[in-house]
Amino acid sequence: MKKILSLVKVQIGTQLVEILSIGNNRKRKPKALLGGLVFFVLVLGGVSFFYSYMVGKGLMMFNSIDVLPALLMAVTSIIVLFTTTFKIKGTVFGFKDYDLVMSLPVRTMSVVASRLLLLYLLNMIFVCIVMIPAMGVYAILAKPEASFYIIGIFTLLFLPLIPIVVASVLGTIIAYAASRFRYSNLISIVFSLGLMVAIMGMSFTMGDTGQELVDISKALTDRVNNIYPPAEMYSRAITEYDITAFASFIGISALCFILYSLLVAKIFKKMNTIIMTGKSRSKYKLGELRQSSPLKALYFKEIKRYFSSPLYVLNTGFGIVMLTIGAIVLCFVDIEKLMGQVDGAGLLKMGVPVFITFCLVTCYTTAASISLEGKSLWIIKSLPVTAKSIFFAKIAVNLTVTAPALADVILMGFVLELGVFLTLLTVLITILVSIFISLFGLVINLKFPNFTWMTETVVIKQSAAAMIAVFTGMGISALLIALMVVVPSANLAYLIYIGFMAAVNVVLYRILIHWGAKQFHRL
Amino acid sequence: MLKISNLSKSYKGGKKAVDNLSLEVNSGEIFGFIGHNGAGKTTTIRSIAGVLDFDEGDITIDGISIKKDPVSCKKITAYIPDNPDLYEHLSGIGYLNFIGDIYEVNKFDRETLIEKYADAFELTSNLGDSISSYSHGMKQKLAVIAALIHRPKLLILDEPFVGLDPKAAHILKATMAELCKGGSAIFFSTHVLEVAEKLCNKIAIIKNGKLVACGPTHEVKGNNSLEDVFMELLNEQ
Repeated sequence: MKKILSLVKVQIGTQLVEILSIGNNRKRKPKALLGGLVFFVLVLGGVSFFYSYMVGKGLMMFNSIDVLPALLMAVTSIIVLFTTTFKIKGTVFGFKDYDLVMSLPVRTMSVVASRLLLLYLLNMIFVCIVMIPAMGVYAILAKPEASFYIIGIFTLLFLPLIPIVVASVLGTIIAYAASRFRYSNLISIVFSLGLMVAIMGMSFTMGDTGQELVDISKALTDRVNNIYPPAEMYSRAITEYDITAFASFIGISALCFILYSLLVAKIFKKMNTIIMTGKSRSKYKLGELRQSSPLKALYFKEIKRYFSSPLYVLNTGFGIVMLTIGAIVLCFVDIEKLMGQVDGAGLLKMGVPVFITFCLVTCYTTAASISLEGKSLWIIKSLPVTAKSIFFAKIAVNLTVTAPALADVILMGFVLELGVFLTLLTVLITILVSIFISLFGLVINLKFPNFTWMTETVVIKQSAAAMIAVFTGMGISALLIALMVVVPSANLAYLIYIGFMAAVNVVLYRILIHWGAKQFHRL
Repeated sequence: MLKISNLSKSYKGGKKAVDNLSLEVNSGEIFGFIGHNGAGKTTTIRSIAGVLDFDEGDITIDGISIKKDPVSCKKITAYIPDNPDLYEHLSGIGYLNFIGDIYEVNKFDRETLIEKYADAFELTSNLGDSISSYSHGMKQKLAVIAALIHRPKLLILDEPFVGLDPKAAHILKATMAELCKGGSAIFFSTHVLEVAEKLCNKIAIIKNGKLVACGPTHEVKGNNSLEDVFMELLNEQ
């Protein structure tokens, strides 16, 4: 046990160092970034509290507050499922210090236990940040008995176990497939996107959105209970203090996790060997080579880097996939019925630019692209190209990812009959927000680079640069909403927003070209 | 070809990695750079390659300052680090073609030189494989081939023989000699003193960031072996 804890301690230390980019600047960054991390936790907890409170208040009106815990547990489980699936490779299988850890005088089972414990702890942090405020809301609104708190704390500890097991199985299949096929990354990306869209689609097809909140929540809970029976046990345990349900939930969760751990211990070495051994055909014959310009070569190198990482694509391309699916779905639905009211289409029209900006700001490829150079940074630094060319190539990739949004806007403009003027404004907003997130991501990554990462997850999802890019992007989107509330005319609000974003982009461009180029040389 | 004038570089915390270092490498010379671990060899080499910014002094390559016009300097330079971390998402041939594009190597030269060096280093059959599947030695060979396909006027290598098998090391030494005959200059660091002694026209020894010996190999070592001279300089206070 001591050895397992030592291994976990080292791994958590490594994760923290990577997240806080301590490796690159030991003196200054930890404090500021630790502050940022605390801020992030508070924001996430605050959002959870606010969301739970709003939903809880709605449910109270229909005397259905007991639906709340199951609903939030289902949402948390889905998020754990999402995030863990792509964490398996790098945490349980194919992690970078595998050779080092496996050469230590510890049993394989201890190594496996330490990796699974790490996975559990990482998820537990997230579950606590989301579920504790949510349970607080339930306690305020439903005023439950003391048993709620005891059962609540116990079940919280077991809550992420089954999602982790399911995600691990999916993640292992993806990692295995990725190591076997030639176009493995493409297969992995398509498979993962399909999975995410399917889960999202499931929650969207809950029924008519014109229904009352309580019906939606109950329908959602029923659906979740059907797909994921432990949710029902959890619900009965926490709201009805049903001891059988409580014991069943804990027993099934623990049993699943133990069985999974034993399975992983059995296949641990074999899977790691398969995943970490590259494919080698060794039959290459030199043929004709294609020539490109230096800028084109840099761009294609970046594009290949982008598509070589399913994690990168899924995290920074999901927004655009949702936007495209949304635009296509609009062609086939009755908009008036969808909105459930006469002026539904009008509301939808107004919401289009907001929805687009929210989707676009999640496409922050540049916020990780400098860090992802990792130990290969010496290559671009020693090449006869300017920092500006390198920046342009990275920005071009971000704009390539967001490019389908233009087609989506035109399609939406046509389907929703936005008119030429509003379509044009939306196109301008799309272009400016795409440029903004590309420029801002790059500037912020130059400010907070991390070249000592062990897994890509750290720079793509957990780095200071990625978090700042996402939150600032959300702020920029919220600004559009604020303008629409404050300014009497929606079109005028869009015009002000366009002017503001154009000015911000000019400033960001100048910062990138002057400060950014100098900063790049300092890296 | 390469002129380093009063180069100084300090790291955070005030430690001077390189202290007022000056030396010159002419065309046709193979220049060996020797020093103990942490002496400042890699810092100097990274500064010449334009990878690392430095505080004081200047470095000129073919008369061009790396500080004022880094792109022109890099166009005629090739750099191979001690640990060649290459783009693992590319195949070997993809990486070589990328380097060819960046250095604007024409199609004929590119195909001819890749074939010549890949065959010499016995890497041709693996060029279609992903770099992630390469061993350390294969990556080292690929980095060497990538450095050679644009016919650099100055080749900078940091510990080039680490990880290479004896045959590849032999081919690299022969290639270095061939390059110098063609008028290029080579500046490389090594811990293998026998190699430096046999291969280099000139040698510089660095200790705690300062140059303690520099000149033609026969002058630096005199009647002793290079190892004796190096140990003697290292033990001097």
